[in-house]
Amino acid sequence: MPLLQAILDGLMLGGVYAVISIGLTLVFGVISIVNFAQAQFLMVGMYVAYFAWHFLGLDPIFGSVISFIVVFLLGYGVQHLLIRRVLKAPEVAQIFLTVGLLIVLENLALILVGSEFKSVQTWSQNESLEFAGLIISMPYAIAFLASGVAGVMVWWLLAKTWWGRTVRATAQDPMAAKLMGIDPEKIYRMSFGLGVALTAFGGAVILPYLTVSPSVGEQFGVLMFTVVVLGGLGNVLGAVVGGLAVGVIQSLSGLFLPLQLQNMVLFIVFILTLAFRPEGLLRNKS
Amino acid sequence: MKPSKLLIALFLLLALGLPWLVSGEGYSIRVLTLLMLFAAMAQAWNIVGGLANQISLGHAAFFGLGAYTSTILLIRFGLSPWLGVFAGMAVAACAGALLSLPTMRLKGHYFALATLAFCEVLRAIANSWSSLTGGPVGISVPFVPNAGIGLMQFNSGRPSYYIMLAAVVFITWVYWRISTSKLGYELRAVKANVDSAEVIGIDTARTKMLAATISAGLMGACGVLYAQFNFFFDPDSIFSLVGISVRVALICIIGGIGTVAGPIIGAFFLLPLEEIFNATLSNKGAGVSQLAYGLILMGIILIEPRGLQALFQKFMNRGRS
Repeated sequence: MPLLQAILDGLMLGGVYAVISIGLTLVFGVISIVNFAQAQFLMVGMYVAYFAWHFLGLDPIFGSVISFIVVFLLGYGVQHLLIRRVLKAPEVAQIFLTVGLLIVLENLALILVGSEFKSVQTWSQNESLEFAGLIISMPYAIAFLASGVAGVMVWWLLAKTWWGRTVRATAQDPMAAKLMGIDPEKIYRMSFGLGVALTAFGGAVILPYLTVSPSVGEQFGVLMFTVVVLGGLGNVLGAVVGGLAVGVIQSLSGLFLPLQLQNMVLFIVFILTLAFRPEGLLRNKS
Repeated sequence: MKPSKLLIALFLLLALGLPWLVSGEGYSIRVLTLLMLFAAMAQAWNIVGGLANQISLGHAAFFGLGAYTSTILLIRFGLSPWLGVFAGMAVAACAGALLSLPTMRLKGHYFALATLAFCEVLRAIANSWSSLTGGPVGISVPFVPNAGIGLMQFNSGRPSYYIMLAAVVFITWVYWRISTSKLGYELRAVKANVDSAEVIGIDTARTKMLAATISAGLMGACGVLYAQFNFFFDPDSIFSLVGISVRVALICIIGGIGTVAGPIIGAFFLLPLEEIFNATLSNKGAGVSQLAYGLILMGIILIEPRGLQALFQKFMNRGRS
């Protein structure tokens, strides 16, 4: 039974990991940039939701919508002002521009809101669902559901709408897309905005069971990269599978390892995937 | 391009004389010592990052391994840090070789990610394995009053400075030897095009692994020197992404990646600048000087990712035409 419970807990965590990682994989898939600052946008999303709760009394589940919008605009601007300028630059410039962004975002947060840990109080925190002897705590269930809804909406947006087709066309071949009358620059701005906004949304919905501080992104960085590498960089469906897998791995390793060493298990998974299946566990690109 | 003998002589003269222009103790000599240490570390990074264009975001891993190795050996067995340098170098080199087994075929972003993750894991291990490392509170090098040269502890700041200077000279010499040797040309071939390098008969995996091992070992030695200089470190500061890994890469970028003088130019530029920021901005609150640091990094990338040397050349060319 503890095993089944751990797997269930892992799936609940993994649903959220999937959504925050879809953002990262989307940015790579469309713009071919690995955004090392992605986890810092998660931090920004958590703060926006926190302040929406603090000042407006909004439950983070609704605050997550504000997080999404605010970070979308932020990402849109970042793409236009910064990322756009290194798209054709050597990889080293791409890597260190987003690393610089990571440092800037983290320290801006430190200056603006201070280093203390902040958390919200919601009605759901002491509630839980029971089913056949298994327990799901309510905040986890809500975060999982919200992530599921967001994931389905992104899938619909990318697979079923005209805009989604233009994005996929640009990801495949920006030059050909341009010849078809698509403005790749515009698609890049929207995709980067959408990518970081999704991650911020994920940050907001997990706020009820976590605390937020300027350095909260650090604990998600390696995790997100493990998820997207497992699923194949740029593969949205892969990020979902990878997210669920990482959630379950983390939860299972928690049964017999101290908390800090769970990252080590993730790293081993990460390195083995890179070494043996660099294209990810799912081969087909979606 | 062979660096001119005159420039080398001038640099050495300046470097040898610098500590006598400031007080033997206190702030200034400390900054100069760190400047030399970071130039040495950046040069070690340059072997992998510059010659083979493998961008590592995890060199703090080897730095920290070196520091922990010598300090633990000193505390547990009283081993002199002079021997600890070799122990630290060996441990770091082994780690570098091991890490390159799964990562040597990775390129660009993937390599950067893997090295970053490796360092994060070492940080987690160092934080949780308290019985060996002292855990999150850190570890101190036992200070013995008047211990002298045998324990690499000095009453004045100058000897430490000269040790770091020796490290810069040695690692720069290693870099120069590699870059003009067969290995150097093989690495450049790997950088230009891995597949073509394979076709002309270069064992690219072996080449990259060798470079990674040398680079890691030298970084480990720098870690030992840092531990002996600073007397204290903790997992979060020694395995720091921003404080160590990114900083050594940034120094190379500023000076010019893959050039022999790059790390030295970069260190002479960045460290004084950081000190000015710290001095003028630190009273404005936590994070301000770090923010400035991040902005410099982004600024340099956007203006000229090939660094100051390229910027200077551009400027000269514009003046001529």
